This record gives sequence, structure tokens and C-alpha cells, in this order.
Amino acid sequence: MTIHLSHEQLCDLILADLSLQPERDSWRELEAESDVVHEHLRACLICSAELRSLRDSLSHFRDASVSYARQEFAQSYAHRSSIAPPHTFLSQPLYWAAAAVVFVAALFPLSMHRLRPAPAVIGTTATSPSQATESDEALLADIDQKLSADVPSPMEPLADPTAGATSTTSTSDQRTN
Amino acid sequence: MASRAITSDTHSVTRQSPATPLDDMASIVATYEQKIFRFHLISIRDRDVAQSLTQDTFVRAWAARDTFRGDCSMSTWLMRIALNLIRDHTRTDRFRFWKRVAETAVDVSDVASHVPHRDSSLESRLIASEQMALVWESVAQLSDRQRSVFLLRFVEDLELSEIASVTGLPISTVKTHLYRALAAIRARHNATHKDPL
Repeated sequence: MTIHLSHEQLCDLILADLSLQPERDSWRELEAESDVVHEHLRACLICSAELRSLRDSLSHFRDASVSYARQEFAQSYAHRSSIAPPHTFLSQPLYWAAAAVVFVAALFPLSMHRLRPAPAVIGTTATSPSQATESDEALLADIDQKLSADVPSPMEPLADPTAGATSTTSTSDQRTN
Repeated sequence: MASRAITSDTHSVTRQSPATPLDDMASIVATYEQKIFRFHLISIRDRDVAQSLTQDTFVRAWAARDTFRGDCSMSTWLMRIALNLIRDHTRTDRFRFWKRVAETAVDVSDVASHVPHRDSSLESRLIASEQMALVWESVAQLSDRQRSVFLLRFVEDLELSEIASVTGLPISTVKTHLYRALAAIRARHNATHKDPL
């Protein structure tokens, strides 16, 4: 019957930790045991295959875990960047332009509100709109008159010099009559 | 004006001779954040929780920076805080933790796809992925303490003395936990190889 390595011996080979420095007295004993273990590994294919397989499994587990965690860390860092950009990004013109657009968009409803006349003021000054309407109508009538004229006023012919005399005559006639 | 000069002088003195290494927290976070995140992620197996616990680790380190005496390395000290946070999280929210893990657990196939393939043959790639998945599933079955010790040794590559410092356990106890964890993996390993599908 073949005696294989114990679980502790196999684990010690896997761990192979330098922090477990043995006492000076037990060093030779451990070294001798280590020689026996290594000699057995060279001779026993079952133990050597199991040790190799376990080491491979642990190595794959470690490599995959480290690689996966690195990828997840990079992804989480990217998410954080998209939520809160670094301070250097604030110096870029795009961010300032976007901020200006937002600012103007926020002010636009306020300015519209101020331009609209207040209802109370309209009620107290009821006469002023009618006056304004009259003056507007007078202006429009004047413009219509100027536009409807065939000849501009500077180009109009001089007035008839006899017109005054005729009128005078007629008046005199009326007086006489 | 005078107060500004005093402030700048104080700032320059602080920068020249920090009271503790933790005063320069930005460089500590930059150095150790990925390592702490990895430990949380592989322990908890939930990215959101791992992110949250990583932030909590550095917040706690900052709050307790005066207690850091330098008798262990910064990495060991941060790992100790991280391990305590994992323990608190799994202990207090055990039910919610397992429920959440079941919903948003890291899929083993995602991790297996990260196994490096030095050999390009399909068979060797499948074997490597299968071996990795076997350890991944075995680790999930370990007790909290065994899992922490196992991950500190085989993922973080800490020596037994460092694991003892992080966990506060004697080296012999650390070694016992590792033996038991490896026994569970070995049993599953042998069962799979004896009864291949």
C-alpha cells in the first residue's frame, strides 16, 4: 500500500510561506522532512499531479479575480467621472458655454414677466390708453395723406398768384351785393 | 491679510512635515483604493457594496488617523479596517446581504472569462476556466473567517504573519483556517475529477 502525502504536507507545499521560519533546533528536522516530501513527489505521480492541479486552480482563481476586480474598478471610476467631472474640465469652453445657455434660459421667463404690464396699473390709468390711441390715429392719418398725394409737397407747382385777387373780387362782390 | 499669511504658513508647515502619513490622504487613496476595492469585491461579490465599503474604509481611516502608530504597514492597517467593515456588514445585514448577493451576485462566468490563457488550445482554456470556477464556488461555501483568511493569502498574497496582524489571530490559527479552506477546495476538486460530467 502506497502512503501519500498528508493534507498538512500538501498544504505546506502550497503555502510555502517564508514568514514561517522554523526555530533553529527544528530546522534540520523540517529540512529532512522536506527532503522526504520532495522525494515522494518525484516518485508519486498521484500526489504530484494533485499538487500541480491545486496550484493551477489557485493560480487561475487569483489571476481571474485580480483581472476582474481591475476591470470593475475601472468601470466604477468611469461612472464616477461621468457624474462629477474633475475640476480641470471646468476650464473648458464647452462647459462655460453650456452654463451660459442655461443661465440665459433661466432669465428669459423673468424678463418676459417684467415686460408684461401689471393689471393694477392699467386700472388706475384708464384715460391714458385712449389718448395714445388718438395720437396714433392722427399719425396714421397724416401718413396716409402723405402717401396718397400724387406729387410730393416739395414738387408741387406754385400757387396761382391771381387766386388771391379773384377771391378778393368775389368778396367785394359779395359785399356789394 | 495677516490671517491669510498665517494660514499659508500653517499650510506650508503641514505640507513639509505631516503629523502622520495619513495627512496626505489623497495619495493614500490613490495608492490603495484599487487593492481595497478588490478585497471588498471578491469578499462580498457585489460591486455596489464593494464601492460603498471602499469609501467607508478610507473615511474610517481618516477619522482614526491619530491612532495609526506605524507599528504595521499602511496596507495592513487599511486591510484591518476593510475586514472589520466586511464583518460588520455581513453580521448586521446578514439576511439582506445574502438576498442582495443572490440578486446582483457577480456571475462566475464573468470572472472565468478573465482567466489568462497562456496556452491557446480550447481544451486547456476550458480546463482553466473550470478550475477557476471550482475554487470560486468552494470559497463561497467557506465560513466568513476562513474566506477572509483564504482571500488574504491567495488573492492579496499576504504572508501568514501579515494575515495574523490583519485578523488579530495567532499564526497557528491562521494556518488552521487555511488548512480547512484548502481541505474544502481539495474535496471538491477530487470529487469533480473523479466524477467528470
